[in-house]
Amino acid sequence: MSKRSNKSFWIAFGIVLAALIIAPLVLPEFWRRFLTEILIWGLLAMSSDLLIGYTGMVSFGHSAFFGLGMYGAAAALLTVKPANLWLAILYGLCGSAVVAGFVAFFATRLRDIYFAITTLIFSQIFYVVIFTWTEVTGGENGLNFTRPQLGIPGIYTVTFTPEILHWFVLAVVTASYLILRRITHSPFGMVLQSIRENESRTRAIGYPVERYKIVAVMLSGLFAGLAGVLYAVQNRFAAPDFVYFVVSGEAVIYNVMGGIGTLVGPILGAGFFLGLREISSRIFGDQFPYLIPVGVIFIAMVIFLPQGLLGFAKRWLNR
Amino acid sequence: MPVLRTQGLTVRFGGLTALNNVNFEVASGEIRAIIGPNGAGKSTFFNCLTGVIRPTAGRVLLNGEDVAGLPSNRISQKGIARSYQITNILPNATTLENVRIAAQSRRHGWSMLRHHANFRDILDKAEAVLHAVGLGSKAEELAANLSHGDQRNLEIGIALATQPQVLCLDEPTAGMSAAETHETMELVRRIAKNLTILIVEHDMQVVMELASRITVLHYGEVLAEGAPAEIQDNPKVQEVYLKT
Repeated sequence: MSKRSNKSFWIAFGIVLAALIIAPLVLPEFWRRFLTEILIWGLLAMSSDLLIGYTGMVSFGHSAFFGLGMYGAAAALLTVKPANLWLAILYGLCGSAVVAGFVAFFATRLRDIYFAITTLIFSQIFYVVIFTWTEVTGGENGLNFTRPQLGIPGIYTVTFTPEILHWFVLAVVTASYLILRRITHSPFGMVLQSIRENESRTRAIGYPVERYKIVAVMLSGLFAGLAGVLYAVQNRFAAPDFVYFVVSGEAVIYNVMGGIGTLVGPILGAGFFLGLREISSRIFGDQFPYLIPVGVIFIAMVIFLPQGLLGFAKRWLNR
Repeated sequence: MPVLRTQGLTVRFGGLTALNNVNFEVASGEIRAIIGPNGAGKSTFFNCLTGVIRPTAGRVLLNGEDVAGLPSNRISQKGIARSYQITNILPNATTLENVRIAAQSRRHGWSMLRHHANFRDILDKAEAVLHAVGLGSKAEELAANLSHGDQRNLEIGIALATQPQVLCLDEPTAGMSAAETHETMELVRRIAKNLTILIVEHDMQVVMELASRITVLHYGEVLAEGAPAEIQDNPKVQEVYLKT
């Protein structure tokens, strides 16, 4: 990347970040909450972009990582008193790391559609376990808990107001973005892209491809788990619906809509898709199958904007 | 001591014996050509040496260490590199990145938190290799946009960047013009000063000029071995190969 485009990138980054910081102060309650949620779903989609866009592996198992993040956070918040936010994050990350390690170990032996299907099956196994193991997970009803406070318990804490919650989520998502961006530019990230471009050649020049894939899936799973923790903290519950594979499918859709291999694209895609769905449901009402127009627009975008919104915007700007 | 040696190397695909009890030795610093009619087992031989195929029987000794059956990434780390008959590069990466990623396979491959361009040692190595293969001025071009001849040389550059002891070149001049062929021959001669080269080639002129010794494969077996002049005069070789 040249110096000049690097500079314009950081300017754009600063403007968007500033807008997102100011947003909760000016938006009405509903949209403020909506925006916070977009950031969380964007983080989930961004984590799967590490696999889809950079390593060339499409995962349909991210709901398992996301869900285990939620349940991990729930475990920390329900068992440890006083409730500790950092412990919730730690438990959530551990939960998703265990699942990601398990899935990575088996699924990375397969490629392409076989990898996708295997991740899908694993996530469904976790869904069934969580759904049926009522004593521990609350089964269908899930788990409810109170939101922890921000800060270090006993020393300094602030209660989460909607604004503070938004800023907290924004900080975590921004940090995750910067870390993921750095990873994709690192030697490790270049190896992942080399695997995407030409797997056998990457092996032939000396890289243990399977190990790289395992680490990539685990990293991706950790960030997906982090998104799960944030969602749990925001909504004060963990529910099996979020381990269901539909969530994984949505993460893939956000990637396709926003532009794979861009990291910010998936966040944009999440915002666009969720916004579209919200508007469609308001226009057509709950009685009408309001997802049909959303689906039509999605199909049109796949055909006419195959590189996603961000890819399109980039090309248009460079014209 | 020979740098690379095979003992009783045999590969069977079902009922077909692609390589049969191949005993082969190459001394350090040699340029060895491997020739033979189509289907003689030349590519299978390379695939065995570089870990793409696991031999049915036999050993591949690199500096006395048996590397037969190791996966290709381990063999690469041991010091055997190859270029491919059909161009096999990262088409959507720049020429420099193709070579840089190969150089990076020796160290820093797991580094995650520093920008790849900050590893000056890797970048210097990659740039040196690009100059060595004559692509120094095309570092920032996409590999897919290079001419066929340049892509073939990039193939060699990628292999070179892994700092091999033994370099296997699978028809490096395939599809090249006469001028490009000449340049690539010069390139092979230059790099041969520091490493051992095995070369599969159909162009007899290239073989005769480049190779210090020639091994002839026929139906998976070694038919003859010797200096270019000896091979040319060998009646068995003339019968199966040179005449056709």
